[in-house]
Amino acid sequence: MIRTADARREILRAIRESLAESAAGGGAAREGPVEPRAAGPGSAVGSTGSADPGAKPRGSTGPAAGASKDVVSSFTERLAAVGAQCTVVRGEAAAAHALADILTDAAARRVVGSDAPLVQRLLSALGDGFVRERLEGLSRDGLFACDAGVTTAQWGIAETGTLVLESAREKNRLLSLVPPIHVALLSSTCLCDSLGDALARMSRASHAITLITGPSRTSDIELTLVVGVHGPQVVHVLLLEEEP
Amino acid sequence: MRVSLFVTCLADQLWPAAAVGAVAVLRRVGCAVEFDERQTCCGQPAFNTGYRPEACSLARRLIEIFESSSADAIVSPSGSCTAMLHHYEPLFEDAGWRARAHAVAERTHELSAFLVNRLGVEDVGASFPGRLTWHDACHGLRDLGIKEEPRRLLRRVRGAELVELPPPGAETCCGFGGTFAVKYPEISVAILDEKVDAIERAGVDAVVSGDASCLMQIGGRLSRRGSSVRALHLAEVLASTP
Amino acid sequence: MTFDRNARAALADGQLRSALRQATTLFGERRREALATAPDWEGARNRARAIKDETLLHLDRYLEEFSANAERAGARVHWARDAAEACEVIGRIAEQRGARTVVKSKSMTSEEIHLNAALAARGIEPVETDLGEYIVQLAGEAPSHIVAPAIHKTRRQIGALFADKLGIEPSDDVAKLAAAARRALRRRFAEADLGVSGVNFAVAETGTILILENEGNARLTTSLPRTHIALMGIEKVIPRFADLEVFLQLLPRSGTGQVLTAYQSLLTGAKRRAEDEGAAELPIVLLDNGRSGLLAAPVTRQSLACIRCGACLNACPVYRQIGGHAYGSVYPGPIGAVLTPQLFGLGRSSELPYASSLCGACRDVCPVKIDIPALLLHLRAEVVATRAGKPRLLERLAFSAYAAVMARPRLFESVVRLARMLRVMLPLGAWTKWRDLRPLAPRSFREEWRTRLRHEVAR
Repeated sequence: MIRTADARREILRAIRESLAESAAGGGAAREGPVEPRAAGPGSAVGSTGSADPGAKPRGSTGPAAGASKDVVSSFTERLAAVGAQCTVVRGEAAAAHALADILTDAAARRVVGSDAPLVQRLLSALGDGFVRERLEGLSRDGLFACDAGVTTAQWGIAETGTLVLESAREKNRLLSLVPPIHVALLSSTCLCDSLGDALARMSRASHAITLITGPSRTSDIELTLVVGVHGPQVVHVLLLEEEP
Repeated sequence: MRVSLFVTCLADQLWPAAAVGAVAVLRRVGCAVEFDERQTCCGQPAFNTGYRPEACSLARRLIEIFESSSADAIVSPSGSCTAMLHHYEPLFEDAGWRARAHAVAERTHELSAFLVNRLGVEDVGASFPGRLTWHDACHGLRDLGIKEEPRRLLRRVRGAELVELPPPGAETCCGFGGTFAVKYPEISVAILDEKVDAIERAGVDAVVSGDASCLMQIGGRLSRRGSSVRALHLAEVLASTP
Repeated sequence: MTFDRNARAALADGQLRSALRQATTLFGERRREALATAPDWEGARNRARAIKDETLLHLDRYLEEFSANAERAGARVHWARDAAEACEVIGRIAEQRGARTVVKSKSMTSEEIHLNAALAARGIEPVETDLGEYIVQLAGEAPSHIVAPAIHKTRRQIGALFADKLGIEPSDDVAKLAAAARRALRRRFAEADLGVSGVNFAVAETGTILILENEGNARLTTSLPRTHIALMGIEKVIPRFADLEVFLQLLPRSGTGQVLTAYQSLLTGAKRRAEDEGAAELPIVLLDNGRSGLLAAPVTRQSLACIRCGACLNACPVYRQIGGHAYGSVYPGPIGAVLTPQLFGLGRSSELPYASSLCGACRDVCPVKIDIPALLLHLRAEVVATRAGKPRLLERLAFSAYAAVMARPRLFESVVRLARMLRVMLPLGAWTKWRDLRPLAPRSFREEWRTRLRHEVAR
């Protein structure tokens, strides 16, 4: 029987003893990191000491980057580079049409949507020919049998083509993962320039935040890319621009 | 400029042409060269194998020898041994010795870096007809940051054509690694064979490098494989005249 | 001696070597391409290392902060001094939850504590769900690379393995093989009671753990089962949420050559309400297992900055020839050659610090600038000073003689002259079996100097 409280006390004590030993020993200087480069001015001296660890890296833009043309185009370019699809639409009606087209093209029949109101509205606008599953009460096997999952994304990251899904906003974790097709609805006003911007804006109230960059992939066999291993093979972003 | 030659034991006994060449080139560019015959080995084999007290005692010796010289610079035809001198400082606990080690290291330069960076010379008046490729010896490249200097010198050699090594490339280790080459000879030679394959693919007359140790390794395998490609020290090429 | 024997076996395995050459070369190329997309690579490396150094110097404080914040968010933090304690904690939780099957996402730390064997001993079946780990588990092997566990296997070998174990048609179509694994593992996910994952970064400020992956199996492992256990070494903690940015710039680019891996899961505690998705409980196991001792000196402390990207493996000329299994330890390659002796003692791994040509390629590619060659040299000195491993009597004698001779220039010259006469040079066999030995020059440089060169000065 382990007393994890004892373990905690002992580990912390061992850490403090080691750090005290390091601080006390003149050995700190003697065994100090051997400079990787011995020659040349401005070589590695202070490579680890002088930088301000908390310093914000290069110019990330301030609040609300909004939906400048640049951000949208770099986001869509990155999405293509990571193997995700993207359709830019204006307004909900167009989004509903686009969603139906995406699902039809992918031959998706069983569709499951998150509890986000926008998703629910778009799904109810879908015509016949689709089976709309409800996430509540869906078994694991039932979920595994779905063809497509539809969620929103709370943020998009332009520099990486990444979607940010926050658990506090909707039930998006399994729908964005288990079905072979994931359609994500994202407002263009929620595009961030950089990963750093996105990290600063994420809702810390979420117990799970998922960053998604393209479809599920593996290169575990001979480093050969296979798309769609445990997660979706297709990630389609419906980027909603506001109606004028 | 007065230069004290740090010959290194390997060049002294196994590759004297490198040291003789270094003296010739340094004199040609106007340096007065002196050589202190008390020097032997810098202690690197002991240091790299874990024998620190032995390495330390040889380090002290060499520091004293070079301290006794008032030359403007200490120059060596070896990136590896120069790097070892630059590693002396952390070997000592004593602040006095650390300072002395530091002072000697500051005066010590690898040959190509000395010519190009310190003297600003790229054309040393050499002539060497043939197709050459350069092997970046690891310690010169990664400990001292020497990359462009030898290439600049070789490009100015009359009659010489410099080509870069095909993959795995000039920067990949030749597998020597000091005692590693005899502790794990099979691994060492497996690494070496990739290098030698690349050298043969390059279709060159000679592979040139800045360390006698790598050249022994590469040259020894080239010769065993019956290759006509020669292994040459940079100083040998630079010392050649028509 | 084990390393030597393993290495020879690896060198004799043509399939292994061609798989290794292809994979490590490709990894290297992808990394270089990905680096080109990073705006300030050197700056990012420096910032990341500074964050790690700051954390390690105050590790006690950051661990307590992490623990308090994770528990406030609903996780339960367990501390484990060693592998046995960590296995005990995880095994007991699994038993108490009545788990029969445990799905696992890739975790080197779980390999370190040999968790699978410990679970199996309790009658609980561990199922690796990362494709590479799954392959290795089916084959009854250990991972041979930190990032790509099955890097040593060809598609043909994997096809034969799947035909044997999963009953599929033999195939070397990689997509078919991956699909077969997906089908088989979906069944296991459907029945899993408990998930075990590793942790890439743990944020003290928020109590968040971050897990990177590409396949989605870690997301399934952490969201489908009722209980998700996260296992992490104590060095995984970083101070602030915003610090994640720099590490997310470095890790995927260094590891797989991606700008970002497909998925990052940032998990802060268990789910809050019954109707939420995800695990209802999140035990986090903090493992020491020798790490705290490494804090005692800067040279060893830097080992704890490692973010397990595997770049040093791909860059290492030794690893590229012999692969991961030859190292005989969970952590292979250059970082393994320094971590293994430090974490588990020099006694059984005294050869590993010597398994390197000290070329320094590992240091160049390390995203957090760990000076691995300096660590190797430090450990070699420890081996000699503590007389760890084999006796090395001849070696000791040789280096004493060497130091004595080299301290006396006249003696040095006489010895070399004698060797020249006898045409010997030690150690012969290991060199000359494969390489011609350059003979000692007929006249040494110092002889040339004395007889000729010195006088040219005067001239």
